[in-house]
Amino acid sequence: MRFLALITILMVGGLLFYGTPDFPAWGDPESPASLHVSPYYIEHAVEDTAVPNIVTAVLADYRGYDTMFETAVIFSAGIACLFLLRIYRRKSTTTRLYRHNLTGITLRIAKGGKLPEGSAEFERIDSLWVPYDMIIKVTSRLVVPFVQLFALYVIAHGHHSPGGGFQGGVIFGAAIILYAISNDLRRAFRRLNEKAALLASAAGVLLYAGTGLMCLLLGGNFLDYSKLADLLYTDAIMARSHGILIVEIGVGLAVMAVMVSLYYNLSSAGRHDEGL
Amino acid sequence: MGFLNVVVIFLLACGLFFFFAGAVGILRFPDFYSRLHPAGKLDTMGLFTSMIAMALWVAHEWHLGDILTALKILLIVAFVFITSPTATHAIVDAGVRAGLLPWTKDSSEDKS
Repeated sequence: MRFLALITILMVGGLLFYGTPDFPAWGDPESPASLHVSPYYIEHAVEDTAVPNIVTAVLADYRGYDTMFETAVIFSAGIACLFLLRIYRRKSTTTRLYRHNLTGITLRIAKGGKLPEGSAEFERIDSLWVPYDMIIKVTSRLVVPFVQLFALYVIAHGHHSPGGGFQGGVIFGAAIILYAISNDLRRAFRRLNEKAALLASAAGVLLYAGTGLMCLLLGGNFLDYSKLADLLYTDAIMARSHGILIVEIGVGLAVMAVMVSLYYNLSSAGRHDEGL
Repeated sequence: MGFLNVVVIFLLACGLFFFFAGAVGILRFPDFYSRLHPAGKLDTMGLFTSMIAMALWVAHEWHLGDILTALKILLIVAFVFITSPTATHAIVDAGVRAGLLPWTKDSSEDKS
């Protein structure tokens, strides 16, 4: 069986190598892509979509299908990681650890004991809990808002400069991961819990696909944003620009949520307690 | 213009010197903790001088757009000044928690 697989791989690889010389040379100005595809984008992107950054216009408008399914791939990667790693059945622990925040005393409460749940003075911790480092905590508290602001800037400024949903979403996710590292997982769950992260990742893809469907309902092709002009109170060209922004926000939401959910699952090996 | 050129080149050369010294230090110091010393300090200082040089170079004509770019460069410097020492601190902390003992002259003689 393994031998057959090797033969197949060698044959397919040989075919690929056989086909490679027929490609146009690297950067060949006479190649069909440079003669028929790129010039249209370079000449018409601004007048079609009012977006100065041609890369963004191609990514989210002319080739919107491609980006939509890329977002779907990221979403399914997050879901696959969840299915592979997440452990819902808890080990039946006989004791739970609670930390008194003011004095730093840890209480070990046996099964059946009264739990200080919902008390502001006690905090549930795990056996791998590490004391907070004040320098790291204060610095991350200082930096996280700026990182988040920069992420929103990258998403919103994708029309004019390098950036867009993927990059901004990753930066936003990194901000939340930084918060989770510098504090602990239970505190990060209080800001963005698992359910919210998964819902946000699905909502991002839905926002993208829903925008496309809306164009379909308004009488255009799928993802033809110019048909949104009446909804957005603009002309057809600006509607394409705004449509790009809407789908970029969807991409950013999905990427951010998937990053955070991947971190939650990988860092604690699916148990969602203090793993690192 | 000529004076500014001299300042920018001097600052860039200083930055290169700090980066180079940092790289040499990372390679030559004996153990984990002392290697983090050049990694944390000299990278921050090298970035500081070379970024100041770039900000001066960008903003030398006093156009509004150029000054904004220079301000963004200064923001990079500010954030690196906050985060880079913290990162070094976190790495040292992890080393201490993992139980790595600092290098002394005696410990190196034991090995050799």
